[in-house]
Amino acid sequence: MQRLSRWILITMIVGVLAACGAETPASGGAAGDIKVGAIFDLTGATSDVGVPYANGVKAYVEWINGKGGINGRKIDLISQDYAYKVENAERLYSQYVSQDKVVAIIGWGTGDTEALRQKIATDKLPFMSASLSEQLTNVAEAPYNFVVGVNYSDQMRIALQYILEQKSNATGIKVAFLYNDSPFGKSPESALDTIAAASGMETLKVAMPRGATDLTAQIQQVQAFAPDYVVVQNTAGPASLALKNAATVGLKTQFVMLNFAANEILVNTAGPAAEGAIGIIPYAPPAADVAAVKDINEYLAGKGQGSISDNDKGLVFSQGWATMAVMTEGIKRAAAKGTVTGETIRVELEGLQNFDTGGITAPITFGASDHQGAVATKIYQVKGGTWTAISDVVEVKK
Amino acid sequence: MPNFLPLLITGLMNGAIYALVALGFVLIYKATDVINFAQGELLLVGVYVTFALVAETGFPLRPWPWPLAIAAALAVAVGLGVLIERLVLRPLIGEPIISVIMVTIGLSQLLRAIVAAFFGTSQRAFPPIFPSHVIELFGTRITADRLWALGIAGLLLLLLSLFFRFSTTGIAMRAAADDQQAALSMGISIKRVFAIAWSIAAVVATIGGLLVANNNGGINTSLGNIGLLVFPVVILGGLDSIPGAIIGGIIIGMIESFSAGYLNVKLGLEGLESVLPYVLLIIILMIRPYGLFGREIIERV
Amino acid sequence: MQSGVFHTTYGKDMALQQSSWQKWRLGLVLAALLIFPFVADNSQLYLANTIAIAAIGAIGLNILVGFTGQISLGQGAFLGVGAYASALFTGRLFELFGGTGGTPFLVSILLAALFTALVGTLFGLPSLRLKGLYLAIATLAAQQIIIWIITHTPKLTGGESFSLRPTLLFGLNMNQNGDFRFYWLLIPIAILVTLAATNLFRTRVGRSFVAVRDRDIAAEVMGINLFRTKLLAFAVSSFFVGLAGALLAHYRLVISPDRFEIGTSISFLAMIIIGGMGSIAGSIYGAAFITLLPALIESLGRQVSNIYPNIDTMLPYIQQGAFGLVIILFLIFEPEGLAKVWHNIKNYFNLWPFSY
Repeated sequence: MQRLSRWILITMIVGVLAACGAETPASGGAAGDIKVGAIFDLTGATSDVGVPYANGVKAYVEWINGKGGINGRKIDLISQDYAYKVENAERLYSQYVSQDKVVAIIGWGTGDTEALRQKIATDKLPFMSASLSEQLTNVAEAPYNFVVGVNYSDQMRIALQYILEQKSNATGIKVAFLYNDSPFGKSPESALDTIAAASGMETLKVAMPRGATDLTAQIQQVQAFAPDYVVVQNTAGPASLALKNAATVGLKTQFVMLNFAANEILVNTAGPAAEGAIGIIPYAPPAADVAAVKDINEYLAGKGQGSISDNDKGLVFSQGWATMAVMTEGIKRAAAKGTVTGETIRVELEGLQNFDTGGITAPITFGASDHQGAVATKIYQVKGGTWTAISDVVEVKK
Repeated sequence: MPNFLPLLITGLMNGAIYALVALGFVLIYKATDVINFAQGELLLVGVYVTFALVAETGFPLRPWPWPLAIAAALAVAVGLGVLIERLVLRPLIGEPIISVIMVTIGLSQLLRAIVAAFFGTSQRAFPPIFPSHVIELFGTRITADRLWALGIAGLLLLLLSLFFRFSTTGIAMRAAADDQQAALSMGISIKRVFAIAWSIAAVVATIGGLLVANNNGGINTSLGNIGLLVFPVVILGGLDSIPGAIIGGIIIGMIESFSAGYLNVKLGLEGLESVLPYVLLIIILMIRPYGLFGREIIERV
Repeated sequence: MQSGVFHTTYGKDMALQQSSWQKWRLGLVLAALLIFPFVADNSQLYLANTIAIAAIGAIGLNILVGFTGQISLGQGAFLGVGAYASALFTGRLFELFGGTGGTPFLVSILLAALFTALVGTLFGLPSLRLKGLYLAIATLAAQQIIIWIITHTPKLTGGESFSLRPTLLFGLNMNQNGDFRFYWLLIPIAILVTLAATNLFRTRVGRSFVAVRDRDIAAEVMGINLFRTKLLAFAVSSFFVGLAGALLAHYRLVISPDRFEIGTSISFLAMIIIGGMGSIAGSIYGAAFITLLPALIESLGRQVSNIYPNIDTMLPYIQQGAFGLVIILFLIFEPEGLAKVWHNIKNYFNLWPFSY
């Protein structure tokens, strides 16, 4: 037998043995611990924001455990990287359900959230993720999905409400919509169409190709349309490229960034070009004077990990923190009443009324027929390089 | 046709950078018959090394001045090129094409993981290399750094063309590409030629990457995806032609900019520019399989 | 004692199972497959099902790449064509025209596989003029174009995601306790595909595939119609890949374009490289290896996390890097893959005591 073959055989035997060994419950799980599974993108296509989100969720769990957990029971967060690949998310999910016996799941993106939507309904496990697609709030379609932040469509509605308030006459307002050429980017499109048709707005939709290294041609198209406002639905990297290219070609307009485009990364990357951009941000920025930001900073300082305004944390970190806070509240209420299962957590979450996430989001209210947590947000604007609130809490008018 | 000139210039600028990255493919293919799916990751390594030296906190002697940092990154690129050729590609000489393609794909995954492990995957602000004030050119506003990029890309393309035409090493590389056995019998060291080809490709990729990073103002590990974008370019120009890479790059740049500028809205097909180069690629392959300038291979039994 | 396997009749030489040992082994494997679902938990069943689907796809790809020598980087997209086609046939296509019906599940997956074969043949057309690298890039373009079409026709494909109706087989809802029920569907189909593919290469058509791979011009001189053979290889290969995609769609019930990106194409290529190109059994080994690799690394990580607590933060990178590293190492040290490794091990015992 060749030497290499022997090595491969040995490696495989060791691997299989290790795998068998690992099937006994993993380390650290005391009997009373409440297990929550988490699926994060730490190395995949969206890991630039996936990592701070994951760190936010993990930080909240450590923080609450440090404060004694839930009536003395600790939360055991079992998290793994799925590299933004749906098949990895499914594998991890089935492992969490049948081996780790988790009671709830924290997910991440559009792909994994959609792929697991029906599975979590059959397995009766509440699920929260950073995907803020409106169709997840439809209880008939997605009975176990909970959307904590303001969904993309509502963000668009708030942005357009703001725009309409600025002008006395709605007819003839020109709004360009720049979006990531993917389902994520197109998510708020129908909200735009409805409002534009109702109010007589003129619109232009321009896709930003994924992985583009230059958006000048797209911006020139926008420039020819001469819009009053440009709404952007993308991640911060491409959004800042759009801002820089717009500054170069001399496009004079007001940019309005929806959630994933509006964060510190935009300010850091686009520099002066980001000045004056408006952001619909459902999460309190690091500079905000709210209770949760103080908690986060206290926690981080205690661990010697800097502060929330560091480059590798920021808004998305807070988003992760707040999402886990809401999930934990559901678990806490279920625990107070008796058994903690996916079903009891769901019932308790649906009973949440004006739950305060420490000021990171607007108060969270779910209902049996409504899994949309927040429907209100402040509007921010980049002033002197920081996101500054320019409005009070604005609610979606439906 | 509104916006014609601005779109033309935009296409030209982007095309030059495509040409530069595509050149790396062509160089490696021409000299070693290997198609390199890890070209984007060579670019990634070069850019992140420069970034680490200039902007990363906690790195010794920070911050390095640009010329020194870039020189160091280019040195790393040369070393990486030699290393890859020696450790990964040389054992595969004579193996079927699919093995060679897959080994470079494997390499791309590995390099990306290494970069991510060192630097993380979050978006980092990339400090500007060139001044970026706006200047007006034929009534079109562009930033100075884009002109720099165009100039550097042009210069590099010219230098490499001259290198292949006139320098002894360049001629040896062309000879090796033409017929390895004949080249060997003429006393040309094929190993050396291969190592040089990989090194130059890594250097060119690094420079191309720096130009893109400078333009974007921010980097993350998905910068490596640019490696896939240049396939239409090399196919259009012909896999083994340097002028082909240049012209192919510019044509693809133009197609992207004009389809984004005109076709999308007219046809109601948003995002057409991201697929049009590939459609063109298929059409070219059907009509002129060896590209505009590629050498047709005649097989004999 | 005999050292080696010796045949005394032609019939024996041509048998699929050449020795009584192999028959025993086959029996053992079948018995294990029968017992497995009753001892495994859902996540292990999920892995088994995923391996079965991946194996069908990998066998399809291997027919094209390993046996016919035509490189394809568009496998992920063809998987998507099969998935979306079957999803459309079972319902949505009818809803679009105001109907409410749908094609029965088994018919629908066959139609989807046939449709994928058609699309595969279409994108195989450049292979008539192209070889090697150029063909690889043409299939890369096919990958990008198909995904673009899927994401840009939301009316047909549902945009963000496509929810299928529960899969009904003879009135039984397959998705209830789906991991268990689908096991009984996927494993037999995988076995059928394995048998079909194995027998394919004992026929004239199959052998002409191999002749084209080994030397296409020589094959043409021998009277093989290159045009027909290459397209047939694309069709047969895409048929199996489409079948895998359709099964995947009905098993998971929700499909989205992310699943069929270039990364999937690369995973499938990795399966046949690691398993063994030009080996049906190798395709199955490779499918199992690539599916289990991340899980193996995870559990190794859990094992050593007591010794190196920092392993958690590095684990994702190790997983990503390991995938690339495994491909490189196999190509350099064992280009014929796991199938060859298994062969060597068998030979060691077959030739004992004179093995070397």
